[in-house]
Amino acid sequence: MADEANRQFAGLSDVSISEDIPVEGDISVPMGSSSSNRQRGEEDEFSTLDEPVKETILRDLRAVGSKFIHVLYPKRSSVLLRDWDLWGPLLLCVTLALLLQGGAADSEDQGGPQFAEVFVIVWFGSIIITLNSKLLGGTISFFQSLCVLGYCIMPLTAAMAVCRIVLVGGSGTVSFIVRLVVVTASFGWSTFASTAFLADNQPPGRKSLVVYPVFLFYFVIGWMVLTFSPSQ
Amino acid sequence: MADDTEDVELDFAADEQERARRSAVIRHPLASFFHLFFRVVAIVAYLLSDWISENFASCFVLIITLLSFDFWSVKNVTGRLLVGLRWWNQIDEDGKSLWVFEAKKASRDNNIGTEAEARIFWLGLIICPLIWICFFFTSLFSLKIKWLSLVVASISLQAANLYGYLRCKAVGEDGQHADSFTGQHLLQRPDIIFGIL
Repeated sequence: MADEANRQFAGLSDVSISEDIPVEGDISVPMGSSSSNRQRGEEDEFSTLDEPVKETILRDLRAVGSKFIHVLYPKRSSVLLRDWDLWGPLLLCVTLALLLQGGAADSEDQGGPQFAEVFVIVWFGSIIITLNSKLLGGTISFFQSLCVLGYCIMPLTAAMAVCRIVLVGGSGTVSFIVRLVVVTASFGWSTFASTAFLADNQPPGRKSLVVYPVFLFYFVIGWMVLTFSPSQ
Repeated sequence: MADDTEDVELDFAADEQERARRSAVIRHPLASFFHLFFRVVAIVAYLLSDWISENFASCFVLIITLLSFDFWSVKNVTGRLLVGLRWWNQIDEDGKSLWVFEAKKASRDNNIGTEAEARIFWLGLIICPLIWICFFFTSLFSLKIKWLSLVVASISLQAANLYGYLRCKAVGEDGQHADSFTGQHLLQRPDIIFGIL
């Protein structure tokens, strides 16, 4: 047994470490693949100063794009959850608010979604839903939840674009029915997509308590989309 | 064994460059410019909003776009170039959210900014949120509520970077080594805000 061990380590037999030479080295503790990549990437990015700015921009853009694609096909994946970012929700919110402009209800003296109102409804609504799910004992973090809720507004934004196109052709009964179908479908899609991510992190029996505010949130946004009427 | 009488090439050009780099007042002129550019233009746009456009929505989008660019560039580029600090959030395998604050050790070979650049960085980082807080009160008391939503969004974008970099500075000044592992020790302190987030 000892012979075998000696043969295995034969190559090290001429290495000797005297007692008074301190042996030192770097031990980097791996905390998970993403963090050790970061540590290694840190050195690279600190030393190559000019190049990474474009790289960083492209990397962030690719991350945002991949999340949009994941909303289109909502199956359980960790892309939206693990690498959250709020650029997509910001972009979607601004787009939705811009599309809701120019309506008959947009003048100062009438009710209706003004620009800032859409912003406030989306972000405050998301924050309240997140607080609700956290108070119910959810394991998802604050910004992850905001990220999911924001990205899942995408179907409703697309529905808004479609509605505006349909309204160009006229605002009679037919266009209303078309818009109703489109908005209902996208509302269902948004709710389904976001609950696919959010409800899984909840203890069972509380899923409906979490799903209900999400339902209400997208219902309000869908209502704003459906009741939009262009100014004469 | 090296022959002591061998010719050794002396690289004076690289030495000159090193010395020039170390004695420069501003090592990253582009980063310093962009650090201040977006924030100042956003504040100017807010003040001159009546001249830029009558439409509230376009003004809102313009200022939020400028502040988003500012947030991204300060967080990802100017922080590590000018003062060698960096902060981010990562989710580990258990799904737990981890905030990491990193401070680079100052050493001779580093290309971190000079004192002038550090001053530019911190002044820009601190003064602009204060100005936006002033705008908050002016719009609150003049009851311009829709501008209030813009000001709140701006404050949240600017204050996030300020808070992140202050935490990084705390990591650096604790005299510990600059790596994210020790950054975690500071994160384990009871901290109400990040406990929720």
